[in-house]
Amino acid sequence: MEGVTPYLMLSGILFSMGLIGALTRRTAILVFLSVELMLNAANLALVAFAQAWGDLVAQSAVFIVMTLAAAEVAIGLAIIVTIFRKRVSTNVDTLAELKG
Amino acid sequence: MTAIFILFALMAILGGLLTILAKNAVHAALGLVGCLISVAGLYVTLNAHFLAAVQVIVYAGAIMVLFLFVIMLLNAAKPVTEENPVPFVTEIAGVAACVVIFAMVVIMSSFKAPVLPKGAVEAMQGGGPGPIGEVLFTKFLLPFEAVSILLLVAVIGSVALVKRPEQQQENLPDGELVGTFENDRQEVKA
Repeated sequence: MEGVTPYLMLSGILFSMGLIGALTRRTAILVFLSVELMLNAANLALVAFAQAWGDLVAQSAVFIVMTLAAAEVAIGLAIIVTIFRKRVSTNVDTLAELKG
Repeated sequence: MTAIFILFALMAILGGLLTILAKNAVHAALGLVGCLISVAGLYVTLNAHFLAAVQVIVYAGAIMVLFLFVIMLLNAAKPVTEENPVPFVTEIAGVAACVVIFAMVVIMSSFKAPVLPKGAVEAMQGGGPGPIGEVLFTKFLLPFEAVSILLLVAVIGSVALVKRPEQQQENLPDGELVGTFENDRQEVKA
C-alpha cells in the first residue's frame, strides 16, 4: 500500500456507496445526489492516475467531468421541478409509466 | 498513507454514508457537501491545487446550493415513502456494491504505477491553473468547446423546462387579481 493505491481504494468505496444510494433511494433528488457521489469518486480516481503518471491530461478530464456534472444537475433539477408541478411528488416509483 | 489522507478519507466516507442513509434530504445534501470538501483536501495532497479550488467553489458551492434550493423549494426534505416496490433491491444493491469493491481490489493488487521520467512531477507544477489551461487549450480544445456549447444548451433547456405555460394566466377572469389584492389588504388590517 504505497503511492496512489489508497486513493483508488477510497474511490472504489465512494463509488459503491453512490451505487447503493442510486439503487435504493426512492426520491428523485436523493438519486441525483448519489449520482453526484459516483461522479466524484470517478474524479478522485482520475486525479490519482494523473499523479501516478505525472501527466496533467487526467486532471483536465476532471475539469470536463465537473462541467458535465453542472449541466446534468441544471437539466435534471429542472425536470424534477416540472414533474413536481404536475404530480406534487418526486417519488421515482410513480414515474414508471415510460417503462413500456 | 499519511495521517492527513486517513483524516480526509474518513471524513469523505462519513459524508457519503450520511448522503445515502439520511432520511432528511437536507441532511443528505449537507453530507455530500462534507464529502466533496474532504475530496478537495485529497486533491491538494495529490498535487491538484487548481482542481481543489474548483471543487470547493463549483461543486461544493454552486451545485450544492442549487440542490438545497430545489429541496427547500419543493418542500421535499421528508421522504414520501421509503417502501420499495422492487423486491430485494437493497440486497441487490449490496451485492452490486460488493462486486464493484471486489473488482477494485483485484485491479488494485495488479496496479503498478509506472516509473516516472525525470522531472515529470515538476512539469505538473502542482496542478496550477496555468499548466491545466495549457492542456485544456491544446489537447482538450475540442472537448472544451463542446462542453461550452453543452452548458449553453443546459441553460436554455432548464429555462424552457421550468417556464410556466402562458395560457394559465390568460384563463383567469379579469377581476380575480384585484379581488385577491383586496382580500390581502383586509387580512392585513384585521
